[in-house]
Amino acid sequence: MPLAATAPSPEDGKTAMHSRPLMTLRLTTAPTQNIGAGPHGTRVTFPITGGSFEGERLRGKVLAGGDDWTVKRPDGVLELDLRVTLETDDGALIHMTFEGLRDDGAPGSPYFRTTPHFETAEAKYSFLNRLLAVGTGKIGADGPVHVIEEIL
Amino acid sequence: MDSRPLMTMQVAVAGPQKIGAVPLGTRVTAPIASGNFEGPRLRGKVLPGGGDWTLLRSDGVLELDLRVTLETDDGALIHMASFGLRHGPPEVMAAIARREPVDPSAYYFRTTLRFDTGHQKYAFLNRLLAVSSGDRRPDGPIYTIHEIL
Repeated sequence: MPLAATAPSPEDGKTAMHSRPLMTLRLTTAPTQNIGAGPHGTRVTFPITGGSFEGERLRGKVLAGGDDWTVKRPDGVLELDLRVTLETDDGALIHMTFEGLRDDGAPGSPYFRTTPHFETAEAKYSFLNRLLAVGTGKIGADGPVHVIEEIL
Repeated sequence: MDSRPLMTMQVAVAGPQKIGAVPLGTRVTAPIASGNFEGPRLRGKVLPGGGDWTLLRSDGVLELDLRVTLETDDGALIHMASFGLRHGPPEVMAAIARREPVDPSAYYFRTTLRFDTGHQKYAFLNRLLAVSSGDRRPDGPIYTIHEIL
């Protein structure tokens, strides 16, 4: 199958990137577990003690027991690897993970972005199984806050 | 979410390797034969040897797990990994399976991407996340890839 010499332009608008708000996630964390220097960088685990999430389509609390397994790379960027369980206000459990990057030295302002994935067995929330999302993080007074948007 | 265009990438898929029914769904691996990418900050070709390890889940969603090596026009190698989801109305997905042209707005085909490179000129790629919108054309997918700002 021949390819054009350069990639073709997509049809205008057909593949434009759009998003809409999914939730704001607030996490509280326990003191970090400083694993130290490993083969991939400096490993620090943040235990998640709780938190909340709120959006138009779902809201509830973050269960204790999740963690963010982070590694600070030699180039200064922190790699994020989070797993938590969310519990909605009507009792559904949602498994949530994200990978992300936090670069406090990025030009302009810190770059703190994640790509969350969700899994649930609850039919009401099964739309979460079928979407990708992007989070913008910041460190609030009580812990990290992630504004998460669904990629449309 | 703010984003800006990073590149458009087209790949050609070689004969699919139909692994078949596995515990998590139906697994088909699509070797990548060739391709190219073009954006304001980088352009070049996709090296053969990558693949898209796909898994059709029981809920009808196709999970995509693509890994390829990009080679820029000035010789840098870039490792790219893309995780995605593809799903849509059954008739649309059937038309794609028959390799018929389908309007990409008729189904959901999105991925999130990571890059790794040792080349200083392209080190900005190590420090960003990206999202893409896919268009599964009969001769291979086209990804419109945006940097997440």
